[in-house]
Amino acid sequence: MANSVELRLVAPPDDVEVDKGDRLDRIRFNWLSVPLLLPTAILLAAFLAPIGYSAYIGFTNLSLLGPNSVNWHFTGMHNVQAMWQDDLFGKSVYLTIIFVILSGSVGSTAMGLLIAMLMQRAAPSLRSLIGTIAVLATTLPPTTVAVIWWTVTSNGGIFSDIVGMGNTGMLYSVPMLVVSCANCWSLCGLAMLLFSAALKNVPADIVEAAKLEGASSVRIFRMVIFPVLRPTVLTSALLMTLLSFGNFTIIYIMTGGGPQNATNILPVYSYLEGFTYHRLAYGAMLGNVIVLMTAAIGIVFGTISYLESRSERRAI
Amino acid sequence: MGVVASLEKEDLYKPSGRLVVLPKFGGVTVGVNAVTLLLALLFSVPLIWLVLAAFDSQATQQLHLPHFSVENFESALAPNLMWALVNSVAISGIATAVATVPAFFGAYSFSRHRLPFKNPLLFSILFLAGVPTSILIIPVFEFFQNWNLLSIVPASIFLGITCLPFELYIIKNAIDAIPLDLEEAARVERASTLRILFRIILPISLPGIAAAAIYGFIMSWGNFLIPIVLISSSDQQPSPTQIFGFISGINVQYGLLAAYCIIYSFPVVALYLASSSVFTSGFKAGRTHR
Repeated sequence: MANSVELRLVAPPDDVEVDKGDRLDRIRFNWLSVPLLLPTAILLAAFLAPIGYSAYIGFTNLSLLGPNSVNWHFTGMHNVQAMWQDDLFGKSVYLTIIFVILSGSVGSTAMGLLIAMLMQRAAPSLRSLIGTIAVLATTLPPTTVAVIWWTVTSNGGIFSDIVGMGNTGMLYSVPMLVVSCANCWSLCGLAMLLFSAALKNVPADIVEAAKLEGASSVRIFRMVIFPVLRPTVLTSALLMTLLSFGNFTIIYIMTGGGPQNATNILPVYSYLEGFTYHRLAYGAMLGNVIVLMTAAIGIVFGTISYLESRSERRAI
Repeated sequence: MGVVASLEKEDLYKPSGRLVVLPKFGGVTVGVNAVTLLLALLFSVPLIWLVLAAFDSQATQQLHLPHFSVENFESALAPNLMWALVNSVAISGIATAVATVPAFFGAYSFSRHRLPFKNPLLFSILFLAGVPTSILIIPVFEFFQNWNLLSIVPASIFLGITCLPFELYIIKNAIDAIPLDLEEAARVERASTLRILFRIILPISLPGIAAAAIYGFIMSWGNFLIPIVLISSSDQQPSPTQIFGFISGINVQYGLLAAYCIIYSFPVVALYLASSSVFTSGFKAGRTHR
């Protein structure tokens, strides 16, 4: 019985701090998170505030120069109406979708997948050659990408000569195709890296078994390899979409939105409206449309990946 | 750490190294090699032009054997052009510091503490990481103009802010991957949170923090629009503006352009290649935690 005496509860000595409120079986809000999160919160607020401010400016008549640069006020739906009647706006949305979805999301992902698959089967020297080139292209800053592509596709450039457009220049004849190619060229290396990593999860024994059963290459790809790559396709497509939005620097430097607005995607259009035509408010309104587009793309991808994961769980 | 590092090394894509290759299926290897070669040639044309033109004293837009000289590099390193590079270093350095230091503390709190609305908050932060910076230009310009902030330091701080969301995400993934036991052991030994943060979390998550910092640096280094709009003085403009100036003129000096582009791109490419193992480890940590 001596033991029970020793186990008796004793009040802790005064010099030892004891948090009586903290139950160890449940995690409570830790007040230390306030100072830890404070700098981040301030900076994130400085990120969010411009988005809100832009949403407001979009509904005013603010301009870069002139009387409306100082005395500007709320004008309601005026800019929305202007946008509705603006032919260039519709064209710009269309071009944005081509650039961001077709060249970025679909093009870069498909090209990355193609290179990753080719690397699986090509001779080792070729494999490292194409891998190095694709990675190098991805690492170059957008300004460099734009300058290189501007040089080789403007009149007298090597690519223009190859396709027989040496006099006018590819960049003038097929501008949207050229900037899309430049975008794809600069992004597909990243997609290739994603797919190369994902290909490691393909079960080699199943590929072997399918081969023994006499399945064709296409069939093995469709039935064995692609299912493993599906989540990566989704990740890559989302990543490439967002990166293409950021890659409008390429267009701005290569064509400045021209010729005749042929490459005037929304981010470029917004910038030109604001700083070239001095209509800051209209530029901000176009920016609001970009935010909505980004949000819509995010929601679409979120829904797709949610449905995918749900069907996967059901299959198991 | 040694084991972890070696595991990550395997994930690293090495052009000449081992690559996991699936068993061969089908037999059209000649076709595959031909397509690969064609694609590689097509992809490399712009890069080959860049290198050849940089070493060519009479560079044009065409591919031809260079009249070899390094005079392009000499003129690209002239003091008046060097200043843009110095500005680039300053801008990227400030932006990286502004983003990485707060991101580390914030990421720790997000990883370890119980916060109200934690998941919606994290999701919003991820969304912010995807917001194109081009839409922020007009409101921020208006704000900077009103407060006379159109110069290099405020612009760099703003660049840092745009890099913060994704950096926070990278560092949080790195901290998530650290076993809780280490921290609990330290707590039993009565280490303070700050001590835990600097003696345990910081050293172990250093690869993740480095990846985040490199991401921030590369993003700021490559940004063209924010400096050109938010910095009013032409003396404070970074290299991208300088390059844009090269191609805006009537007589483009292609050799100088190419040499300057190589000098400007070199730090980014070197950082990328040197840190690709760090990058993949960041991605991997994120994957295992989910």
